[in-house]
Amino acid sequence: MTATPPPGVRVHITRLAYPGHTVFEELKLQLAAGQCTCLLGRNGSGKSSLLRALAKLLGERVCELHVECSDDLPLAGRVAYMAQEDLLLPWLDVLENTTLGYRLRDRSHTRPAVVQRATQLLQDVGLAAFAHASPAELSGGMRQRAALARTLMEDQPVVLMDEPFSALDAITRLELQNLAARLLDRRTTLLITHDPLEALRLGDAVYTLDGQPAKLSAPLRPTGRAPRPPGDAQLLSLQGRLLTQLGAGA
Amino acid sequence: MTGLVRRFVTLASLLLAWQLIVWVTGVPGYILPGPLSVAGAFATHAGTLAQHATVTIIEILAGLLLGALLGFSSALSLSSFHTVRRWLLPVLVVSQALPVFALAPILMLWLGYGMVSKIAMAVLIIYFPVTAACFDGLRHTPNGWLELAATMGASPRNLLRSVRLPAALPAAASGMRVATAVAPIGAVVGEWVGSSAGLGYLMLHANGRMQIDLMFAALVTLAAFALALYFSVDHLLKHALPWHRQTLLDNENEQEIPHDV
Amino acid sequence: MTFKPLLAMAIAIMVLPGSAAGEKLTVMLDWFVNPDHGPLFVARERGYFEQAGLQVELIAPADPNNPPKFVAAGKADIAISYQPQLHVQVAQGLPLVRIGTLVSMPLNSLVVLAGGPVRTLADLKGRKVGFSVGGFEDALLKAMLAKHGLTLADVTLINVNFSLSPALIAGQVDAVIGAFRNFELNQMDIEGHPGRAFFVEEHGVPAYDELIFVAHKESLRRPSLAQFVSAIERATHYMVNHPQESWELFVGTDKSLDDELNQRAWRDTLPRFALRPAALDIGRYRRMADFLYAQRLIAKKLPLSEYAVDLFNRP
Repeated sequence: MTATPPPGVRVHITRLAYPGHTVFEELKLQLAAGQCTCLLGRNGSGKSSLLRALAKLLGERVCELHVECSDDLPLAGRVAYMAQEDLLLPWLDVLENTTLGYRLRDRSHTRPAVVQRATQLLQDVGLAAFAHASPAELSGGMRQRAALARTLMEDQPVVLMDEPFSALDAITRLELQNLAARLLDRRTTLLITHDPLEALRLGDAVYTLDGQPAKLSAPLRPTGRAPRPPGDAQLLSLQGRLLTQLGAGA
Repeated sequence: MTGLVRRFVTLASLLLAWQLIVWVTGVPGYILPGPLSVAGAFATHAGTLAQHATVTIIEILAGLLLGALLGFSSALSLSSFHTVRRWLLPVLVVSQALPVFALAPILMLWLGYGMVSKIAMAVLIIYFPVTAACFDGLRHTPNGWLELAATMGASPRNLLRSVRLPAALPAAASGMRVATAVAPIGAVVGEWVGSSAGLGYLMLHANGRMQIDLMFAALVTLAAFALALYFSVDHLLKHALPWHRQTLLDNENEQEIPHDV
Repeated sequence: MTFKPLLAMAIAIMVLPGSAAGEKLTVMLDWFVNPDHGPLFVARERGYFEQAGLQVELIAPADPNNPPKFVAAGKADIAISYQPQLHVQVAQGLPLVRIGTLVSMPLNSLVVLAGGPVRTLADLKGRKVGFSVGGFEDALLKAMLAKHGLTLADVTLINVNFSLSPALIAGQVDAVIGAFRNFELNQMDIEGHPGRAFFVEEHGVPAYDELIFVAHKESLRRPSLAQFVSAIERATHYMVNHPQESWELFVGTDKSLDDELNQRAWRDTLPRFALRPAALDIGRYRRMADFLYAQRLIAKKLPLSEYAVDLFNRP
């Protein structure tokens, strides 16, 4: 649990371009403090690029971006990143993977406090029995749960997730969405997904990206607390609108 | 257990085929001796064979160890320092292109005719495979891991130690397997060019005296050792990298990937 | 009017390859082309082979141990080999027979650096001796050392694989055995590191034919073999009578042969060629067989007629 309240993040991308094609030009996005913002779009719409730009994974030549946090502190060093692949290191066990950030920063991964918190997180995601298993022994869903535990271990106020559950089957996906919603409560989250239902279940603000260069749609704001039940009438009608929005650019 | 039986049967049939070829074609013993006469040579010259085998084995093992160390540290320098890369990379390529046979006499003159020059030959012949494989491994750390580490604020040292080095191990292991197969060549070629002991020396000596069965016995000894070495190193590497499942010899043992329940 | 067709015919005869439909003979040399092979090249260049109705192909081997094996396997007709090795080879079952002699005394010697610490053979104690594998050198050395009260255990034998002079000059070894007195000695002198030689026949080794011609046991009836030996005799006599002209014939076949080393070696080899190549010195071969048997290099002594003949003394 973060000590200070999570900041809101205002992103202004002047230009994001790869050689031969401009992805964004003058794009502004606001991530509300402590809330989950979802971004939808078809493949190639640039949604991953936006997230990677925020995670400082794109070079300056590709992206000119300006980021402001509502608490006037820099965003750098306050971000946790979760990719579509679990990125678990096969030579470390599940617990060691969870504490990866501590190992890579200052080798503090063996400190009792760190280990204890990691063990607790593994329990939260339901992997307590597999703390010393190797990633090869886990199924796809379990691996993403481990990745989620690792992301939470970073204990950052801002969490960036790039299609974290898209490689999983529908049932597992729903389970992990529930888990994520619960554990990511009170953090500023940007979630990229191609699944409209997922966006509506988890997002407090749902945007679609479309066009060349891509532009943000007006956000949909589902009511109720995440994770919202999938059978909810509001959700289903919003999903209909989203699908139309997504198909509109065709 | 069936693997062992299978290998035994393969070996027995190869020996049988060899003996049949000798009988059927009537090829003289001074060109191709049959397995029986080679076995006879083993019995008669067991002591000599053991003595010379020891020398060659030491040369190969020492060359392998030294070459691996040198190769690995070269790969590390290559991946860490740009200036090193500019100077070392051409040297690396040349070391592979030059036939080792041409360098052998020079090495003999510099390092003498003892084991040192043979070890140097073995090191030379494996330097490129090991360095290239390790360098490749270090260069091609999967991007996902590098990006994740970047977002976590990893220090370059910890990144190398905890991510890039372990990730490079499978490639390094590949390089080691090639080196293991090739190191014996360096040692034996060295012995051919100048030596007073070793299986290569024994082969030449026996050949000069038309003791072709002894020459073959030395050859078989060398082959047997090379095989044993390869299997041992492969086994060692599998143990060292339990998390890396795919190996050259192990396809029948692939584990079932657990599915979501 | 008759001049042009005559000229045309003359040109045709000169230009066409040796159309003497001669019998083909493949001769494998013992090593790369050097003055030891003088008579062969002179015989070819002077047309002696052609006149005998032979078409001779000369081949230099990659590995000096191969030529006898090739002849034994039927891949070549004649090989140049060494008398001591012949005894060992036939004892191992190779079907070879000596049909002629090229060099009728040893060329082999133990060579040390002239300014070096080895003054007599006794000084070899505790030193390193380089050799090339022929399978025979340690027997030679053993006999030579025995005269000075030393055994093989008193020296370290190192196979330097034909790199005899460089190893000696570089100081990697203190002496080399297997160096030919007409070749390596000159080589070292030219390099500026003169050597001193101990001739094997002067130190306890029975005299033998250094270079001989061997053929397959089953081919002895072929008349071409006897004709070959006759041609060699003619060539050898020509060389002894006309040393300068024969040298020019030799280097005429290949310009790269014309160097200081070959010039000197030519001069030193000339008196050592067999003036009677066909003749067989029975006593000499018997003595060598006894020597090798005593040295345990051969397990038993075969009847000489089985592996050495004078082709012109056939029943």
